Amino acid sequence: MAFLGGTLNTVGAVFLTHAVYSTSEHTATFPHAPLPLDITLELLFSILILSAGIVLSSPTLKPIQWARWAGRIQREGPHGEGKWTREGEEILSEGDPFGFLGLDGGIAGKGEGRRGFWDVRGKRKEYTEWVKEGGSR
Amino acid sequence: MNEERELAISPIVQTSVQHNTQVVSNIRNLTASLFGVAAGTLGLESYPGFIFYLVGTLIVSLLVFAVRAEGKPSEYFHRPLGDLWGGEVFSGLSSFVLTWTLFYGLVRA
Repeated sequence: MAFLGGTLNTVGAVFLTHAVYSTSEHTATFPHAPLPLDITLELLFSILILSAGIVLSSPTLKPIQWARWAGRIQREGPHGEGKWTREGEEILSEGDPFGFLGLDGGIAGKGEGRRGFWDVRGKRKEYTEWVKEGGSR
Repeated sequence: MNEERELAISPIVQTSVQHNTQVVSNIRNLTASLFGVAAGTLGLESYPGFIFYLVGTLIVSLLVFAVRAEGKPSEYFHRPLGDLWGGEVFSGLSSFVLTWTLFYGLVRA
């Protein structure tokens, strides 16, 4: 995506420079003649390409709803975004802000994590099934 | 009160809102000076120039809507009408006028 944006930006800049230079030459030669159609079209085409390139090379937006944002973070984890510090360390995207609580270890059942939320619905389901079976196990 | 309750149920991430506003404002500033170059080179004067700018920002908004927000602006903007379609339009106007007059003077005068 960034490569496509960069290509569009370069192509657009070349066309824009050419169109502006052509206009400048044209008005220097015929000061009162209207601008030819091909220069106008080239100019409009170039700014369309350039704005598409600017939008494509801009960073992606982040979801503002907490649930979606946190879901994406949890799914993808902290990963590189193609930026490095001057010392050569990769800059990671933001991670789970509550990761230090260690909730994941407990839920996945691997480590000694702290249990965040008790699964009330699951427990209730278990209980109703237990009652349906006659309460004996 | 209703909106407050809505926000309590589904909270909003402030850093994401800031990031999105920054991205839109960046795009607006860059494209505004670009449209200024085009308007000045085309030799537009007075109202047609401003109409050109408004049409250009609308096209850029459409691009952001389609490419960056993937057609779901309410997922990325708290108020899509104000933050995406009308966001930062008038702050880009000054840089538009700047490059508009500069290129009008360079190319036409």
